[in-house]
Amino acid sequence: MTDTASPAVAAASPRRRVEINASLVVGLVLTVGFLAVALVSFFWLPSNPNIPNIKARMLPPFLPDHWLGTDGLGRDIVAQLMVGARTSILVGAGGASIALLIGTVGGLIAAAYGKLADETISRGADIMLSIPGMVTALVLAATMGSGAFTTILALTAFFTPSFIRVIRSAAMAVLQEDFITSAKLYGRGRLFILARHVIPNIAGVMIVQFTLYFAAGILTEAGLSYLGVGVTRPSISWGMMLNEAQQTVGISSPLAIWPGLAIVFVVLGLNLLGDGLRDVLDPKLKRRSA
Amino acid sequence: MTGSAPAIEVKDLSVGNGVVTAVRGVSFTIPQGGRMGLVGESGSGKSMTALALMGLLPMGWSTHGSVLHDGVDLVKQSDRAFSSRRGRTISMVFQDPLSSLNPVRRVGEQISWVIRRHTGADKKAAEQQTIELMTQMKLPRPEQLVRAYPHEISGGQRQRIMIAMALACYPQLIIADEPTTALDVTVQKQVLRLLNGAVNERGSALLMITHDLPIIAAMCDTVAVMYAGRIVEMGPVQEVFRNPRHHYTRGLLDSQPTMDNIALDGSARLVSIPGMVPPLHNLPTGCAFNPRCPAATDKCRTVMPELAGEGLQAACWHPVDSASEVAAQ
Amino acid sequence: MVIYVLRKLAFFIGAVFVASVAIFLLLRAAGGNVAAIVLGKDATAEAINALAHSWGLDRPLPIQYFDWIFKMFTGDLGQSFRTKEAVASLVTDRLSVSIPLALSGLLLGLVIAIPVGTYAARNVGKPSGAVLALLSQIGVAVPVFWAGILLSVLFGVRLGWLPTGGWIDWSQSWVGAIRSLVLPVLSLGLIMAAVLIRYVRSAVLDVMNQDYVRTARAVGMTRTQALLQVGLRNAALPIVTIVGLQIAELIGGTVIIEMVFSLPGLSRMILANVAAREVIVVQSTVMLIIVFVIFVNFVVDLLYGILDPRIRNAA
Repeated sequence: MTDTASPAVAAASPRRRVEINASLVVGLVLTVGFLAVALVSFFWLPSNPNIPNIKARMLPPFLPDHWLGTDGLGRDIVAQLMVGARTSILVGAGGASIALLIGTVGGLIAAAYGKLADETISRGADIMLSIPGMVTALVLAATMGSGAFTTILALTAFFTPSFIRVIRSAAMAVLQEDFITSAKLYGRGRLFILARHVIPNIAGVMIVQFTLYFAAGILTEAGLSYLGVGVTRPSISWGMMLNEAQQTVGISSPLAIWPGLAIVFVVLGLNLLGDGLRDVLDPKLKRRSA
Repeated sequence: MTGSAPAIEVKDLSVGNGVVTAVRGVSFTIPQGGRMGLVGESGSGKSMTALALMGLLPMGWSTHGSVLHDGVDLVKQSDRAFSSRRGRTISMVFQDPLSSLNPVRRVGEQISWVIRRHTGADKKAAEQQTIELMTQMKLPRPEQLVRAYPHEISGGQRQRIMIAMALACYPQLIIADEPTTALDVTVQKQVLRLLNGAVNERGSALLMITHDLPIIAAMCDTVAVMYAGRIVEMGPVQEVFRNPRHHYTRGLLDSQPTMDNIALDGSARLVSIPGMVPPLHNLPTGCAFNPRCPAATDKCRTVMPELAGEGLQAACWHPVDSASEVAAQ
Repeated sequence: MVIYVLRKLAFFIGAVFVASVAIFLLLRAAGGNVAAIVLGKDATAEAINALAHSWGLDRPLPIQYFDWIFKMFTGDLGQSFRTKEAVASLVTDRLSVSIPLALSGLLLGLVIAIPVGTYAARNVGKPSGAVLALLSQIGVAVPVFWAGILLSVLFGVRLGWLPTGGWIDWSQSWVGAIRSLVLPVLSLGLIMAAVLIRYVRSAVLDVMNQDYVRTARAVGMTRTQALLQVGLRNAALPIVTIVGLQIAELIGGTVIIEMVFSLPGLSRMILANVAAREVIVVQSTVMLIIVFVIFVNFVVDLLYGILDPRIRNAA
């Protein structure tokens, strides 16, 4: 159906381009806003988010000193949310980047270093994938105690097999291209080919996956901290804030709203950014979904 | 069914999606049992024409004009009403039999579904007919082959299955869109011969879409040449191929590599039409072929020619003077 | 097909073995001296050794491992260090909460996601399709516990229709048990649905553009028939795969939802035992969960073989 394909694509592309931009722009705005808040929190906070203030307990939102009010111990909500953004980045991005690093090395080895390496790494990844991330996190918390480091480790264990799979298949697709064959004919070594040809060609996939797993990391960290096996004070996590709200003042207070909204906005932003980037960086996928 | 009414009568058919128009005012008629070939390059709108006749355009595309068939205007049919005709009075054979057959259903089930859908035959009778049909299609050991999945049989066999599905209910009109392009050269002829015989036997009309001119010459009575969404020349196959009037048809015929013009001493003369098919969203004014035409004048660049002539019709302001052209060669 | 099943079975057994070794080593080797941690800083070396001995923790690791594994095969999941309760009986009680919760959550997710995802695929490029895509995009970003909290505020606190938490056992009143499960299942199901809708949508979209769907229409199926009889049957393949991959997510979601609604399920038991360093209880329960997940993936592989003749024959 060569006849029908070209006009269909021509027709779809203008509408499609608008869609990409919307996803990318909204995602970018939300993500940049999130990163900016975390950055500002290092230089300025409305008040110390960890020091209780008995006189200012349970203040309602929209006060000049406490924009979103205070919690059951009189700690400012905005300050806690700002520090919570830091934790989300530290743990979410930390887990995603270590997993990306290990996953890239593992995926490239599986793709380029023969059948035995591929089978070992791929089967290993399959087994790791069938262990629920939550279970890994609980076991790690049981052995090492909870905290930011344990949480990052749990996320790494959780995400690495997925990265291995994605990187492996992306790298294999590149390795089958003709220019790789010609590079081999020139006598280029495997490492040279991987570094010079494969990695630049899968960089788009890596960026997209990192963005999406950054978002997943934030969600998972919030869940673990909500359970009490994630980060602990003096670090602050949005999930922890929800837990505290539920334990101390009940779920119907506005305290149970703000951290949830923060999570939704940030995760939505990163997911939209990832989808938008995928459309821009990976023309093959774009055509498939059009 | 009135014997005299044509198998299909297409009047001023246009197909577009709001942004581009792939088919721009096409009209033709195929009588009962008639055979018409539709030729053109990729992007000329020939497949879109076929899909429009079948009511199977991709999402977002719509049809204007009228397509009279079996006493109704197909353009105005609802999906439900149209679905009871597809496979029964009008049917289609697609280009790639592997991707066109359902990968998770046995081929026998796929054929007998068509029979049951349109004849109301029970399961047993439909299975019996399926085996008979497969025998007619010269498929080996049909009793076993009914249980095969599409990926388990050869490309030629798959296309025979497709043809069996299309012919199962003795349709008045069969549309074949490049039915052999995806097949091995050695199998192509067998499949074509089979299609030819089966269409003959049923007295069905045939609309053969291809860019392969010898196939048209062998199988069709009339031929229409499409360029940029319009029919530029139409008439009896012999006349069009011997004495084309449109410069595009002339070019198409000249660029066919035949044994005659392949010189074995290496001085082969492979002619091609200069330039490229214009993109649909940026067609030239006047005759769409004018940028590539050796005889183009200012008139060709401003006014669009309509089909004209008796018997052989061509849409050209300065038709090829066949006598002088041949003499010049 | 036989070879295919055997290969998948071999992977199932191998995966369970590797996972069991990993869990065991993590909990024993990396967990430090459990007896010392339990007794606290002031404990004497003798007391620690005596405790470790009475719990069987001073034996060589391979012996402990095989002891654990072989007992597991006989249904003996070990016992709690402190209360001496059998893990098996601890677990069975909890499963009567966790299993209905997890399975109904998954089922609800599928029941929502398959029709909605299909509808979204059919309306791609139209406003209704775009709205659905946006809604599921937002749904994916909502943490399951927050969804639980919001639903609980709405239906429990504001409307007062359903309990905001707590559990009435099946033996007491099955209506009460169901009532205490409604909101947890709803939270879990909605979040699962948001994730699944996107996969169903792209699977159906992919299948709808296939030539064989057009062929089905060319021989007399209506658009809807072709979608339901040919499209969904083929889209079932990627959807089944995704459901297999989502089982791990489902378990994570169940753990959290049990906390939100204070349900006495497996997760609360694990969390309590994690805090108390009850190594055997955690180890056996976690192993049970992992075996379950690997088993589900095994079943998914078999199902895939049944659904797709190409895979069945290739293997």
